[in-house]
Amino acid sequence: MRTLLTMTTALLLSLAAMASAPTGAQAHAFLDHASPLVGSTVPTAPHELSLSFTQSLEPSFSTVEVIGPNGARVDQGKPQISGNTMRVGLKASGPGAYHVHWHALSVDTHTTQGTFTFHVGQ
Amino acid sequence: MSRYGWCWRPCALALLLVCLPYSAAFAHCFVGARFFPATLAIDDPCVADELSLPTVDWFKNGAIPSASEWDISAEISKRITEDLGISIGDIWSQMTPPGGPKMAGFGDLETTLQYQLLKNDEHETAMLLGLIADWGGTGAINSGIGTPYSLLTPTYYFGKGFGDLPDDAGWLRAFAVTGQVGYQFPTTSYEVAQNLYIPQNLVYGFSLQYSMPYLKSEIQDYQLPDFINHLIPIVEAQFSTPVANNYGNSSATIGTINPGAIWVGSYFQVGLEAMLPVNRASGTGVGFLGQLHLYLDDMFPNTIGQPLLGGTGAAPRKLSF
Repeated sequence: MRTLLTMTTALLLSLAAMASAPTGAQAHAFLDHASPLVGSTVPTAPHELSLSFTQSLEPSFSTVEVIGPNGARVDQGKPQISGNTMRVGLKASGPGAYHVHWHALSVDTHTTQGTFTFHVGQ
Repeated sequence: MSRYGWCWRPCALALLLVCLPYSAAFAHCFVGARFFPATLAIDDPCVADELSLPTVDWFKNGAIPSASEWDISAEISKRITEDLGISIGDIWSQMTPPGGPKMAGFGDLETTLQYQLLKNDEHETAMLLGLIADWGGTGAINSGIGTPYSLLTPTYYFGKGFGDLPDDAGWLRAFAVTGQVGYQFPTTSYEVAQNLYIPQNLVYGFSLQYSMPYLKSEIQDYQLPDFINHLIPIVEAQFSTPVANNYGNSSATIGTINPGAIWVGSYFQVGLEAMLPVNRASGTGVGFLGQLHLYLDDMFPNTIGQPLLGGTGAAPRKLSF
């Protein structure tokens, strides 16, 4: 019993001490919105995909891949990352479903990932 | 030993915890693209650094006649390593029988040791093993809120998101289920003072949840109001069924079904649920359950949001497809 109370007190003390330490609060980077919109249908193939997140990203460790209707990658490689926005150019491709896979590392090293689809044409 | 000798051990241990090396930060309950929120009535299927403060409920309990019961509880969860975590929590209860005196006091201190068995990103599946210990003699025994004996409950937890369904499933992919099942046994089988057998119970529950954040970021962005896009409507259910050593006691399953919603932010979540008793032995009328839950790993990513042990401080591995 005494040990349990000791551990509880220690945990609460350490929590108070660490919580009072200076820290830049950041959080997981959720996808806030995308262009083209998640799940949307656009009339013509876009030249660029833009992803906006809820937190700033670490450029070296955040990536995006876009697979076109023919099953081949249509993204133009390394994305441009500025703050909480990730952009990547897209190669010209035809109508159909485009699958987007992204990994994001927020500046405090929290990782998130996601997948969505948008459609081009009818 | 001096008059302050009682406090040197917790202070020394606290200093040790503060000074431990920090590892690369990770997550609360993210499994692939799925985020399982902290559920209110049952536990989520991940070890995590989080704080529930407070959890408040009110309902009319199963006593005859029903007493009005308030419960206020707090729980802190902390990862020891990336896959091993502990939780410590306690509850304060007040019961007011009709026409009778109020009874109030703390329940038994509860600790939980948990180990993360599995996180499968592709199938949004998580599994967890835990041992819940309610420490007898730490609560208000005279009020009938604490017990003189301890309770041990080995428990299995799971979570499954349906994001791996085919794209044709559309909005159904935002559904997820979580659950837990445990076997609770007391450290004594017979309470002499009350001439009472202490039953062993099957303790189980589940949640069905629909993630609006998942719908927006993974399936279709309907450009709904921001508040709606942070909601996770949920139905939780929790039950306890006596299965052994139950001589002279009611054999009824008790439990509640809790429809509600959780609003998920970047650093905290707020949950509110109704509590519907499944039978008379579980209570009468509709109660409520609310919780403020803090994500310590997001609030303090470089300090208490880290596991206590096993950190290398190394740079994160570069991700590649």
